[in-house]
Amino acid sequence: MDFSVINDNIEFLMLGLMRSFQLAIFTIVLSLTIACFIAIGRVSSKRSIRYPSAIFVNLLRSNPLILIVFWFFFLVPLITGKTLPEFHTVLIAFVVFFAAYFAEIVRSGIQSVGSSQVKAALSTGLTYSQSMRLIVLPQALRNMLPALVTECVIVFQGTTIAYVIGMREFLHSTSLVAERTVRPVELYLFAALVYLVICFTGTRLALFLEKNKELAR
Amino acid sequence: MTLPLVQINNLSLRYGNFVALDDISIDFMPGTCVVICGPSGSGKSSLLRCVNRLEDFGTGDVIFDGQSLKSAHNISKIRSNIGMVFQHFELYPHLSVMNNITLAPRYVNGINRDEAEAKAHKLLERVGILDQANKYPDELSGGQQQRAAIARALALEPKLMLFDEPTSALDPEMISEVLQVMRDLARNGMTMLVVTHEMGFARDVADEVVFMDKGKVIERNASGNFFDNPQSDRAKEFIDRVLQKI
Ligand SMILES: Nc1ncnc2c1ncn2[C@@H]1O[C@H](COP(=O)(O)OP(=O)(O)OP(=O)(O)O)[C@@H](O)[C@H]1O
Ligand SMILES: [Mg+2]
Repeated sequence: MDFSVINDNIEFLMLGLMRSFQLAIFTIVLSLTIACFIAIGRVSSKRSIRYPSAIFVNLLRSNPLILIVFWFFFLVPLITGKTLPEFHTVLIAFVVFFAAYFAEIVRSGIQSVGSSQVKAALSTGLTYSQSMRLIVLPQALRNMLPALVTECVIVFQGTTIAYVIGMREFLHSTSLVAERTVRPVELYLFAALVYLVICFTGTRLALFLEKNKELAR
Repeated sequence: MTLPLVQINNLSLRYGNFVALDDISIDFMPGTCVVICGPSGSGKSSLLRCVNRLEDFGTGDVIFDGQSLKSAHNISKIRSNIGMVFQHFELYPHLSVMNNITLAPRYVNGINRDEAEAKAHKLLERVGILDQANKYPDELSGGQQQRAAIARALALEPKLMLFDEPTSALDPEMISEVLQVMRDLARNGMTMLVVTHEMGFARDVADEVVFMDKGKVIERNASGNFFDNPQSDRAKEFIDRVLQKI
């Protein structure tokens, strides 16, 4: 075993890691935003809003992520006649896919708040959307923080899927170096360690938040 | 001639097939305090929720201050003139007492923060919990929480206050501090509809008592008469049962 290959290629590897983080962070921010709207749609009293939201969520949750990525990779150029950069293709697929998962987390968060809080807010003259934004969502976010952090870890692990369409995220960079240097054991051990540290930290954070729910105000 | 502040005309409300309110017609005059009582499930809470249209009623209408709620497009604006107090307080747990009170004035009436806080200050003084302004609801006793909730409801200077069993979730030693606040409100001429089992409050403070059963108004009487000389047998039974418990 010779771990100097890692040190020799650290810049290239870190570039890949940054790309993975970038994809994860963009995905989380965008899909969580969309998820809030879908989740509100899921609890709407109007069927014309509730049903489409439910269909969106269930359709995406019943497909594997890799298939969604392929869909966007092959179909977007077919429909638009243009090819998007890999990063954009993957990002769109990820946002759509994870929006469905985040939406379910946000929905259960919203439902944990209870309709009497909405009634109280409405009774003071706030509109329904103000009640959602000012009263329900802040409480829902607090209740669902552990589940959100756990899902963020899953998003980060999911970034490896971008490998299949050739995006140079961390795992892809690692494998390129492994092939070039013929040192697969050292490199994949290193990759495993990096994912372990990141995901372990995230999981511990989720556990901590779960135990200290009342801390977050 | 004064017009009623609240006019309920042939109001019916169903939950699925269950008839919760059955063709109710009743008026409430401004400046009066009316206690609504009746057995559990008789529709008291449902009636209150129809008065600010938190419940979408099927047939009939509620006229508040001359405006029909059924056809109202600005229901939020109308609701801001009607304060509501709940059995379980329903303070916003993620906001301080001060922010609980100033939220609606700021977002509904567009009052700036300083002005809203100055006003909240006065209200908190009035309900006797000024020293709790910066605490969060879960740091307050039940009685203090309910008084904060009353202050929140008063913050928009409503013309009408609705109370749905405001003392039922309180420990006995805290009931009187909340009733005292309500008594002061009534004395100052607030129009109040109060669902409560506190018969002492009904007798001493309320002008009138409305007795409901099975979604109907069975009896309406001046509060003294209601207890001494109830008109209906069902009200008589109810009074006997409630007074025995005390
Ligand atoms: N959201 C709802 N869905 C279905 N049924 C309901 C709903 N809310 C109330 N009901 C039913 O309507 C009837 C009247 O309810 P309401 O809460 O108005 O009674 P109440 O007089 O306030 O009773 P309590 O003294 O127990 O509070 C009850 O039988 C109740 O079960
Ligand atoms: Mg009730």
